[in-house]
Amino acid sequence: MIECNNLTHHYGEKLVFENLNFQVKEGSILGLLGKNGTGKTTTFNILNGFLQPTGGQCLVFGEDTQHLSPQTKSRIGFLIEGHIQYSFMNIHQIEKFYSGFYPRWKPAAYWELISKLNVPPGQKISNMSCGQRSQVALGLILAQNSDLLILDDFSMGLDPGYRHLFIDYLREYAKAENKTIFTTSHIIQDMERLIDDVLIIDFNKVLVQSTVGEFRSNFRRFDFELENDETDLKNERFIVNIEKVKNKVELYTYSSESEVKRYLDDKHILVSNFTQVKMELEDAFIGLTGKY
Amino acid sequence: MEKISRYIMVFIAVITLTIFLPKLYWMAFEKPVRKPFIQYSCINNEFMIQRTSEKKWEDTKGKQYSREEYEQMLPMMFFKQLLASGTMPDSIKGTALEMRAISREKSFFRLKANEIDAPKPGLYPLFESRSGRAQLELPDDFFRITWRIEFIDAATNKIQEEKSQMFSAALFHKGFSFPTKTISGLPTPRKSCDEGYLILDSKDQLFHLKMIKDKPFVKKVDVPEGLKFRQISCVDFKNKDFYAYLFSDKNEIYILTQDDYQFIKWPIDEYDMSNCDLKIFGDLFNYMVIIEAEDHIKAIALTADYQLVEAFTEYWKTKEQLTEGKIFASLFPARLSMASENSKFIRFYFTPSKGFDWVFLNILLMAFHFIWLSRRKVRLKNHLADLGIVAVCGIYGLIAIHFFKNKFFD
Amino acid sequence: MWKSVFYKEWLKIRWFIIGYTLLGILGIGYLFLALKHSFAFTGGKNVWNTVLFQGYQFYGLFKFVPLAGGLTIAVAQYLPETINKRLKLTFHLPLAGNRALLLMQAFGAGSLLVSFLIFFGLVAGFSLIYFPIQMVTDGVITILPWLLAGFAAYFMVALVVLEPNRIFRLCYSLVGGFFLTIYFTSAGTAAYAPANSGLFILTALLSIAFVFSAYRFRKGEM
Repeated sequence: MIECNNLTHHYGEKLVFENLNFQVKEGSILGLLGKNGTGKTTTFNILNGFLQPTGGQCLVFGEDTQHLSPQTKSRIGFLIEGHIQYSFMNIHQIEKFYSGFYPRWKPAAYWELISKLNVPPGQKISNMSCGQRSQVALGLILAQNSDLLILDDFSMGLDPGYRHLFIDYLREYAKAENKTIFTTSHIIQDMERLIDDVLIIDFNKVLVQSTVGEFRSNFRRFDFELENDETDLKNERFIVNIEKVKNKVELYTYSSESEVKRYLDDKHILVSNFTQVKMELEDAFIGLTGKY
Repeated sequence: MEKISRYIMVFIAVITLTIFLPKLYWMAFEKPVRKPFIQYSCINNEFMIQRTSEKKWEDTKGKQYSREEYEQMLPMMFFKQLLASGTMPDSIKGTALEMRAISREKSFFRLKANEIDAPKPGLYPLFESRSGRAQLELPDDFFRITWRIEFIDAATNKIQEEKSQMFSAALFHKGFSFPTKTISGLPTPRKSCDEGYLILDSKDQLFHLKMIKDKPFVKKVDVPEGLKFRQISCVDFKNKDFYAYLFSDKNEIYILTQDDYQFIKWPIDEYDMSNCDLKIFGDLFNYMVIIEAEDHIKAIALTADYQLVEAFTEYWKTKEQLTEGKIFASLFPARLSMASENSKFIRFYFTPSKGFDWVFLNILLMAFHFIWLSRRKVRLKNHLADLGIVAVCGIYGLIAIHFFKNKFFD
Repeated sequence: MWKSVFYKEWLKIRWFIIGYTLLGILGIGYLFLALKHSFAFTGGKNVWNTVLFQGYQFYGLFKFVPLAGGLTIAVAQYLPETINKRLKLTFHLPLAGNRALLLMQAFGAGSLLVSFLIFFGLVAGFSLIYFPIQMVTDGVITILPWLLAGFAAYFMVALVVLEPNRIFRLCYSLVGGFFLTIYFTSAGTAAYAPANSGLFILTALLSIAFVFSAYRFRKGEM
């Protein structure tokens, strides 16, 4: 459904990413993770057709995102970062407005979500709280009944209650109707509840592109204590990331426990309290990309 | 469509700059032209020239006069001053000077080029010519001429059918061919008496229309064969010698004598009514015709019975011919203006600069833009039109294409 | 789908256009009250005389009313689109190319047209009560550039508001501001007759000017 090939972008002289390649298959829910500044919003802007990449191309339903046809656009639901909407309208007006563009519009999907809000019918969206506004934006996306949803930071500004509500809705909706979702969020626990596949980008490269399950099982964390504080493990190839405070080490790697232990033996590095620590997606992400 | 939109804005910007850059330039650098005031002296038979800004009074041979001497040379013009200072002569050229005659023969007429090329009101008041009242009064109705003559009452906005039919019949019987080409007269009650209107019909026949005791007075004036008038200016002079100055399409000046309707052609061939201002001073002895053009003033003296006496011309450099003008012509390819000195109509007046000095600057700017483009590593093919715009429009084009950037992603 | 686009535009400008039109109608009403008063107190022939030969334009106060309308409606329509870059939402809509933009513009310009036609109809209609057709025609010729200026202002403000770069917004404003003076060159009644058709063409060309800055907005030109 989405296919990006050799995507390259610069802001002036500064390189954002280079030769980024990824795909989003039909029916999957893909989450894009990356630190701030790695190009998440840039990627979304390119997918929206709002940014011309300096190199490469993104295709959605086989069409170049810079020139999407109206038919294709009607099959894509976009959520702009910040749940931006025409907030001079009220909840009735905005539903009436959007329903005119999408023949497959499902008002029930919108009103089900909106009825949970306790707002008077004439209230302008601009006069609602951040969370309420987000609900409106999300309700509109669901009502659009599109095949593909591209959601830029769906959890921004929402408090936990709303977030959980929305994730449940979204996942249920996506699986029931075989929708494809490409999304990002700062709150990785939310992503974990929602996504099947994960795409982790760092400055200039793709770090991980697999299912969440695979990633979590392949990427491991081992904690141990060094006998010798001075031992430097940073430059070993199998080590993806390492956090060392005095003699306490957190080691992040794709290698298995035995492989790590064999290495340590080979190098005659004495350790104690060697344990594998189970990671949630967020821990794995931080482990992969490093604390700042 | 984005590209078309950009080119439209470039075009609009070029138009705007073509109007305002020259305007700013001249606002900064234009120097006023000091036109001399010229009169013909019936005393020494010389043209007397007054240069007000320099406080100089001289004749065409360069002899300088004091202000008093100058005024003495022009007794017809300054008779009040000369009477007050006791230097008024008793007679000139054997003619005894009598105040009433001097006053009666004094006349002034002015016609600017922009009065000729101007919107015309289309409706005129026809005064009662013999009201018996000392002051003329504005009538209650105004007339227009379309396929007939119609009088419309101003208070009610209704056509006076009876009056309209009466006057239409009168015109028709004299051979008037509707509609009209021009209606000329003095539509103001501030005149000594009313002489109605001189009207050209669709076949260039001239008619004199008046209202006398509420009845129509129509006289068909015999116009010499082939004579077509472009402008007729009625006058209200005390001497009542003629009804109007008439100007033919060949720039000839005629008068139409009062009561016997004779055309007398004045011996003046240098008047270009589209581009010159005309002033005619009349006095007891002479007519002084002043023709003011952009680069010269011509003074022509005629006798009181319209014979040519002498002419004098003074030239000066127009702003285009001075240094500022030459610099202008090398900077700007042309100038656009909505208004013109020679017309009251608003048009897009386009004036290309004289000569082709600006071509050098255009080429220079084009080269500059080309270098600027190559530094930016753009595909030149997309910028050919821009280079063309700079080549043709020069500085206007360069500014316009930078205000509306040629940056497109395909 | 055009109905929905029009609906959104209507929601943005409805109070502005209604308010503006009502104010305009009241203003015209005042002009005619004043005219009626002149007719009663100075007399019809004197009013006609000043109009015909002294350049009196009883509708003179109306000069900048269309311009104000164009400015107001353009700001009311396009400023909300630039807040948080909301115009992006319009670009996501399943409409071909610039169709959504052109529909928005058509609605705004169309609303202005309706207002101007109402004004024009009232002025011309009332005038015909007091003046013959020639004088009304001359008045129409005189008013026409002011009406065109209203549209030109609308188109140019759209262009300025949508431009993402501040410096270029200034450039466009300069060009627009100076260009608009072309419609207001000081002149007598009916003097604009030869220029009106040229002005009409220029104004019509301006109607798609904003596509340029909307494109720059869309392509992230910041």
